[in-house]
Amino acid sequence: MTNALEIQNLNKNYGDFQLKNVSFAVPKGSIVGFIGENGAGKTTTLKAILNLVSRDSGAIEMMGMDTIKEEKKIKENIGVVLDGCNFHDNLNTGDISKMMGCIYKNWNPVIYNKYLGKFKLPENKKFKEFSRGMKMKLQIGVALSHEPTFLILDEATSGLDPIVREEILDVFMDFIQDEEHSILISSHITSDLDKIADYIVFIHQGEILLKEEKETLLDGMGVLKCGIEEFNKLDKDEYIRYRKNQFGYEILVKDKRGIKKKYPEAIVDGASIEEIMLFYIKGEK
Amino acid sequence: MKGLILKDLLNLKGTFKTLGVMMLLFTVIFIPAGNDFVFGIIIIMLAMMVITTISYDDLAKWDTYALTMPVTRKEMVLSKYLVLGILTISGAILSLIVGIIGTMIVGRSFSMEILAIIGVVLLIALVFGSVMLPLIYKFGAEKARLMLMLCFLIPMGIIFLLEKTNIPIPIDANPWMYLSLLIGFTLVGLILSYGLSLKIYEKKEF
Repeated sequence: MTNALEIQNLNKNYGDFQLKNVSFAVPKGSIVGFIGENGAGKTTTLKAILNLVSRDSGAIEMMGMDTIKEEKKIKENIGVVLDGCNFHDNLNTGDISKMMGCIYKNWNPVIYNKYLGKFKLPENKKFKEFSRGMKMKLQIGVALSHEPTFLILDEATSGLDPIVREEILDVFMDFIQDEEHSILISSHITSDLDKIADYIVFIHQGEILLKEEKETLLDGMGVLKCGIEEFNKLDKDEYIRYRKNQFGYEILVKDKRGIKKKYPEAIVDGASIEEIMLFYIKGEK
Repeated sequence: MKGLILKDLLNLKGTFKTLGVMMLLFTVIFIPAGNDFVFGIIIIMLAMMVITTISYDDLAKWDTYALTMPVTRKEMVLSKYLVLGILTISGAILSLIVGIIGTMIVGRSFSMEILAIIGVVLLIALVFGSVMLPLIYKFGAEKARLMLMLCFLIPMGIIFLLEKTNIPIPIDANPWMYLSLLIGFTLVGLILSYGLSLKIYEKKEF
């Protein structure tokens, strides 16, 4: 199976911040959730993928093509949504269609109008009167209207209410029904990724900490709650991170079933992506 | 590229209307007075709108987004120069129309002088554009706006000084020679400016 995106050893140094050997892939037909705190390097990575910033070293391929050599061809086939609205306040939806029709070879006004209808976006209103949710829906509709095979979304669901987010996630799920399609979505709203992602890539301070199939993650990892005696009995390789609080220890374990078998009296809960993220960043090794 | 130019023109739709009203006002006031500087103002105002389009782009963080589309950095820069060209030339045509109609209404005859003003201002507008665009690409529209004032003041100061020093300016020389010199100067300026802007823009990080 080929990958929609493959990054190998991407490095970028800003002096006070750097991406260090970032490598991961987006397999065709899957949704990859790209998570990390603000400033962890998500947007920088996405910008490097899109050649918006130059890279110091590393190779990036999309759909098997080098992103520098075949830039234009690749960009015909991807849809991108960045954080915030990038259309000018004075324009309306008709203007966008005229403009995009000149920019993309396969801009499809029928699909565009379908999304406008689906998202209930008014046709003759200037964008300055659009709400944040409407603007985001517009961006997503536009990103899908030149029939791309790969979507790159940077915080496309943050700052939106649960209803709009649900609508948008449904559109992504529809898009991914075609096995040739793939999505890379960066977000810090991890509950959205709990719902739709197939893989999770976790970046922290410019380094990839974790890349794993979501099911494997959620299936394997668990949170063990116990006191100091039990904690001291644990092997170092049985847990990933732990956090101490006034009631005792909370421990992120790799294999919750194994732990349950070994310590039948212990309380082991499942871990959500958010908890995993918090343990990695706030917990101790 | 056509899409980028279209985007700028669509964006200016609202501004065009305001400008139209202003121009009408100017025409009504100045042409009967026999003041021909209205022709220059029309061209300069239209040419300056290229800065407005860049301010709009900045506001929407448009460039970052546009570069995720099948648009090269070269096309981004070239499209701005073409917009500058389109705006100045439309300004010149508009001035010409205003000139012809205006003089007809007030009963003056349309003189070569008006044509000369339009031609010279057209070239000056292009020269200013050539200075402005690389400055904007380097420093951003806001800072460049201040520099634009300098762009206006420096040549005016030089002319003022020249007049003060009473250096004889050969006014009676062949006007055609001046014209071709000016055209050549403008074209070279435009090409150099485009090259410079492109160089700045290609290195830009978004």
